[in-house]
Amino acid sequence: MVGFFDTYGFLIVSMVIGAMLGLSLYLPLMAGQLSLASPGFYALGGYIAAILSTQVFSATQELFPVPFLLLEMLVAGVVCGILGVIVGIPALRLRGIYLAIATIAFVEILRVVSLNLEITGGAVGIFGIPQPFQTAIEYLWIAIPLLLVSMFFLYRLEKIRVGRAFAAIREDELAADAMAINPTYYKVLAFTLGAILAGMVGAISAHFLNTWNARQGTFDASIIYLTFVLIGGSRSFIGPVLGGMIFTALPEVLRAIADTAGLPTVLAQFFRDGRLIIFGLLIVIGTIFFPQGLVTPELLKERGIRSWMKR
Amino acid sequence: MDEEVDLKNNDPILEAQQLTRRFGGLVAVNNVSFTVNKNEIFGLIGPNGAGKTTLFNLITGLVQPSGGKLLYCSKEIIKLRPHQIASQGIARTFQNIRLFGELTAIENIIVARHIHINSNVFTGVLGLPPAPKEEQNNKQKALELLNLVGLSNRATEKAHNLPYGDQRRLEIARALALEPQLLLLDEPAAGMNPNEKQNLSKFIRQITTDFDLTTILIEHHVPLVMGLCDRIAVLDFGQLIALGQPEKVRSDPAVIAAYLGVG
Repeated sequence: MVGFFDTYGFLIVSMVIGAMLGLSLYLPLMAGQLSLASPGFYALGGYIAAILSTQVFSATQELFPVPFLLLEMLVAGVVCGILGVIVGIPALRLRGIYLAIATIAFVEILRVVSLNLEITGGAVGIFGIPQPFQTAIEYLWIAIPLLLVSMFFLYRLEKIRVGRAFAAIREDELAADAMAINPTYYKVLAFTLGAILAGMVGAISAHFLNTWNARQGTFDASIIYLTFVLIGGSRSFIGPVLGGMIFTALPEVLRAIADTAGLPTVLAQFFRDGRLIIFGLLIVIGTIFFPQGLVTPELLKERGIRSWMKR
Repeated sequence: MDEEVDLKNNDPILEAQQLTRRFGGLVAVNNVSFTVNKNEIFGLIGPNGAGKTTLFNLITGLVQPSGGKLLYCSKEIIKLRPHQIASQGIARTFQNIRLFGELTAIENIIVARHIHINSNVFTGVLGLPPAPKEEQNNKQKALELLNLVGLSNRATEKAHNLPYGDQRRLEIARALALEPQLLLLDEPAAGMNPNEKQNLSKFIRQITTDFDLTTILIEHHVPLVMGLCDRIAVLDFGQLIALGQPEKVRSDPAVIAAYLGVG
């Protein structure tokens, strides 16, 4: 068992992180807003944690204290939340694909800024970020509770006034407006909640990956997170969680396949490096055959009724 | 026009003064002034493209006027956003039904009870008081409204799966869920057969009394409007050409000319 965790610990934690990044994209989508800004907030959260842990908190212990990590997550969440409001108010005046483009631009701006600032370490980035745990798998102590809290939050959110306002705006913004729901407020709220989650996850990730640089928040990442949500399911929070886990693990599975003996070199190369091509294909195929993703509310309901009837 | 007579014994709830809206060169609503009194059923008729729906859009804030004033309960509402106007008590239905299609019938109604729930993200997510009690009350209210429009057996059906007539009724129930004082119905009888139109007419009269409403409705079916409305305004090419009790409007030469053309 210890051997298993040694081998797969890194992957398991990455999967949990992937699930949360999927959720951070799912939140604005609940209100019908296709935002690809999550990697930007993720990168920002990571930089906040990296800078705080290497320059502000001078821990002398061998292991970085966990309360400091939690504090970094809090700071990252607050900063990303504030930035989310500031960016969200003008950006969410745009609709559909134009919002997506604007958020890609936001991610690019943050990337270029972090490449050129001294405090973010320029192109090299920040490395030697102190470790709060001895092994990778122990990051689950932070990641799993955060995932569970986010899932509980979303589970409840879908059942209450705020979640219903999101759904109404997703279905018909104009009608929602005429039903006394302030569309701007709720769109910015959904966007900001996603930003806060992405920022907190970034703070964990920075420690987890040990180094943090401008390659963390890129357009590629936007597409990968989008795959999590679109293929996993965009109508229930279970979708992005499963999608995030499966698609984080998929490249590793592909790598394992690529290592199979006797495979033509071209194919092996494709399995190793063609991750984005495969994701892109999946988005195209998925939107045609599963427009709501693989996990739909109907599927969940059906399962729910069946298990209830068995009782 | 016998507006003065009506104004004497009633208090106005909505007052339009020289309301104008231009779309480029087209004047969709041209210098329209009228008053709607409390608890009245006010009909808005006119040929296609007369500016009736634009007038509704002006009242609900979906379209900004190019000029003029609009007073609701003696307060100017021109500068307000649609959701602010709705929260002051003006609810509407749409000519081309705009339900929340992927939500169920009952969810559609609960959504519209937005302003009557106070819980925020935190009290809601954590289920702290008053959130659970409010949710319970709202569900109850929504069920009552579904019952009122005869859809209680379709509560969990998705709105876009309902037949057309049921969708129209659900939209009225959704508008009522706001607990408005002023209800705007945009062609509520569109696509209904004569029998259904008759029932709808009774229904509108019933809700207007039961919910202490003032109702403004756009309708093409002249017999329905004549039988139902206390007063009628006639629009033609954006201009108000007649206003008054049904009998007066019916015999107004300008109205006959607009509908039948000048011979």
